[in-house]
Amino acid sequence: MTQLPYAIDAETPLSKAELDVLRAQYEKEGDMVGVQTKFNYAWGLVKSDTRTDQHLGVMLLSEIFRTSPERRRECLYYLALGNFKLGNYANARKYNDLLLDNEPANLQATNLRALIDDKVAKEGLMGVAIVSGIAVAAGVIGGVLLRNLGRKR
Amino acid sequence: MASDPAHQNEFPDPPSSPENEGSVLSTRGIEAFSRKVTTTASHLMAPLGDPTSHPHYQSAMGEVHKQLRRPMLQRNVFSMARTTPTDLVRSTLSSKEIQSRALSYVPDEMLQNIPEDENQYSLFQGFQATFPEFTEEGRKHRRRVSRGRKLLEETETGHGDGPHGVHKLRKEKASMMHQFEMLGVRKNMASCEIREIDNKMANLMGMRRIILERLANLEQEEALLEHEIVEVEGKLEDAQDLADEAESIALQTPPKSDEDVASETGDAADFMSQSVYEKIPSTRASSKTRKPRNIRRKSMPILHEHFKPGTMIRSVRAHKDSITTLDFDAPFGLMVTAAMDDSVRVWDLNAGRCIGLLEGHTASVRTLQVEDNILATGSMDATIRLWDLSKAHYDPQGSQFGKDDEDDGIAFENPDDQPVDPPSGSMADCPLFTLNAHLDEITALHFRDNVLVSGSADKTLRQWDLEKGRCVQTLDVMWAAAQASALADGDGTWRQTTRAADGSADFVGALQVFESALACGTADGMVRLWDLRSGQVHRSLVGHTGPVTCLQFDDVHLVTGSLDRSIRIWDLRTGSIYDAFAFDHPITSMMFDTRRIVCAAGEDVVKVYDKVEGRHWDCGAGITEAEEQKSPAIVERVRIRDGYMVEGRRDGVVGVWTC
Repeated sequence: MTQLPYAIDAETPLSKAELDVLRAQYEKEGDMVGVQTKFNYAWGLVKSDTRTDQHLGVMLLSEIFRTSPERRRECLYYLALGNFKLGNYANARKYNDLLLDNEPANLQATNLRALIDDKVAKEGLMGVAIVSGIAVAAGVIGGVLLRNLGRKR
Repeated sequence: MASDPAHQNEFPDPPSSPENEGSVLSTRGIEAFSRKVTTTASHLMAPLGDPTSHPHYQSAMGEVHKQLRRPMLQRNVFSMARTTPTDLVRSTLSSKEIQSRALSYVPDEMLQNIPEDENQYSLFQGFQATFPEFTEEGRKHRRRVSRGRKLLEETETGHGDGPHGVHKLRKEKASMMHQFEMLGVRKNMASCEIREIDNKMANLMGMRRIILERLANLEQEEALLEHEIVEVEGKLEDAQDLADEAESIALQTPPKSDEDVASETGDAADFMSQSVYEKIPSTRASSKTRKPRNIRRKSMPILHEHFKPGTMIRSVRAHKDSITTLDFDAPFGLMVTAAMDDSVRVWDLNAGRCIGLLEGHTASVRTLQVEDNILATGSMDATIRLWDLSKAHYDPQGSQFGKDDEDDGIAFENPDDQPVDPPSGSMADCPLFTLNAHLDEITALHFRDNVLVSGSADKTLRQWDLEKGRCVQTLDVMWAAAQASALADGDGTWRQTTRAADGSADFVGALQVFESALACGTADGMVRLWDLRSGQVHRSLVGHTGPVTCLQFDDVHLVTGSLDRSIRIWDLRTGSIYDAFAFDHPITSMMFDTRRIVCAAGEDVVKVYDKVEGRHWDCGAGITEAEEQKSPAIVERVRIRDGYMVEGRRDGVVGVWTC
């Protein structure tokens, strides 16, 4: 599949007017909304900067995934991308890996996996730093307290 | 770093277990998180607590730190962790996140079931193609295109300047190729969307069919229940009558005196009244003709309105010979048909069954009308008979015909090869009375309320009072024509039509009465409007050049059909022609309802004129059966009520259609 967007594409938000066009189209079709229209709106939302939009976008994508089996494979990628943007790396990885299982040679998915690994590593380090920082602080406080206790004795 | 596998085990993968994914705020999620934190911490602090490794600790830690700074290793370590702490915290602690996760949750079995990709374009390409200006690439290309075109013109004028021009052209080509590709995608999109819509329509049609069947069943049940209600009502009425009778008798018996009371116990003579009670109802029941029940339907059948116009509801081989006349009281109600085989049959349109045969006429019936269970038939034996169809012994459940039982309201069965024989004697109670005063065959009749008018080949019209069953007035058409010619010569005389009235044309072709207004169409092509109070013709409508065979009027228009092949619509107020149209063959029958004018014009289809849309179309067996190389018989008679059309053909087949 060479027709998928790279992750960078999801990082460029649409203008409000552009998103409005997509939303209007989506709302106009009402209950009988077509897959493409739904996707257009969902994609516009995923590209957005605001978290609520992204959430809605991912929700719509998962709806597409559920209702149109023929679109599932590519939807895996969009879902992975959406979840990646949301920071739900576990989900993003799950979807992306599933896609890679099906298409090991998919460039975009490979690219996205690297990105996820990167992000997880970075944020993971930060987490480690925080945790260790807390641990050290606890140790220091504990030591001080112990020493105080010892003195009192 | 040797603890990597253990590390992995310490980080159980929550998303893989569906119940955990379903309820994100499970204790397992939190557990996993806490475990993770502690292991991370313990992992880092472990060397501290191990006194034996203490001397090597500094160097080892230095190694670790050095390596940790290398991104590749970072990745190795943390790729084992499937997600980051922030993600975990968010996914377990923020209710909003949890909600949205639940909404966008995809079940695992769906994740397992991922079909091969057969789409010609991805959704993203679709997006790009529809909104090229929304994507970076699209913008680039658009700009490039316009610039490219300009440059192309420039190079053409400047005649190209070496490698620079080649580069430009290449760029141009690239962007054009991009556009070409996008166009291909859009084309695919359009066709895919059409396919999608087709699928949806197929689905909806399926749903519609199911619901239509449901409606048919409901209507069937409704009809049955209604029949039962009517029966119970009848019984109730009878019972009420009995009770009233008993009461009145009880009142008439003189109040008991004291001595009567004394003798009451021993004397049985007084108890004769008991036997009177028993006798009176029975004598009364035998003397009293059963009150005509009003089985006017309470419910309005609406099923046929939901069929596509031109859909066949039913087709029945009603007679062995050409249908001469037919009528029905309401959609899915009662239909009466008469044919050249001299039989008159009553049908239950709902079940498509023959209820019975009406016997009495000594020649074939030429005209008939059904209204609220009252049927009037006019025959070639010069008599008019009235029938009460509510007295038919008919069980709509239809146990007497085993084979028809499975039929539901919209069974599209083939016309039976042989007419089904109804139970004999089912119509024994139906005849009301006979009107005989005409001297020749009855060719047209119409009744409304208590006024019946009939037209006969003896060149007279008669007005009957249905209450008394007597002829009230006789109108001589020839006399009226002569009168008119005497008063104002030329107009209104009996005119010999250009199409000579051959044997098939009836002298009085059609009649309709409304209170004191009577319209009649005759073989001279004239339509005369009579005033029954004066017995005079007060207007003659001239226009048809052949015998008038059918007419009907409402409050505004009068529609006539003639053997001159035309349908004319007259304005009743002015007497002028409002509209007219012609067909290829003589009109033998015509009727209109609020929306359509239907007529039988010597073809195997019914000609329908939609007044609202101003559109002519054909409805009938001739359309579908032409494809099967069959030629159905010519439609002779047609009736329509509320979009429910019944047509009778020359081979005795009756078709029921929606219009």
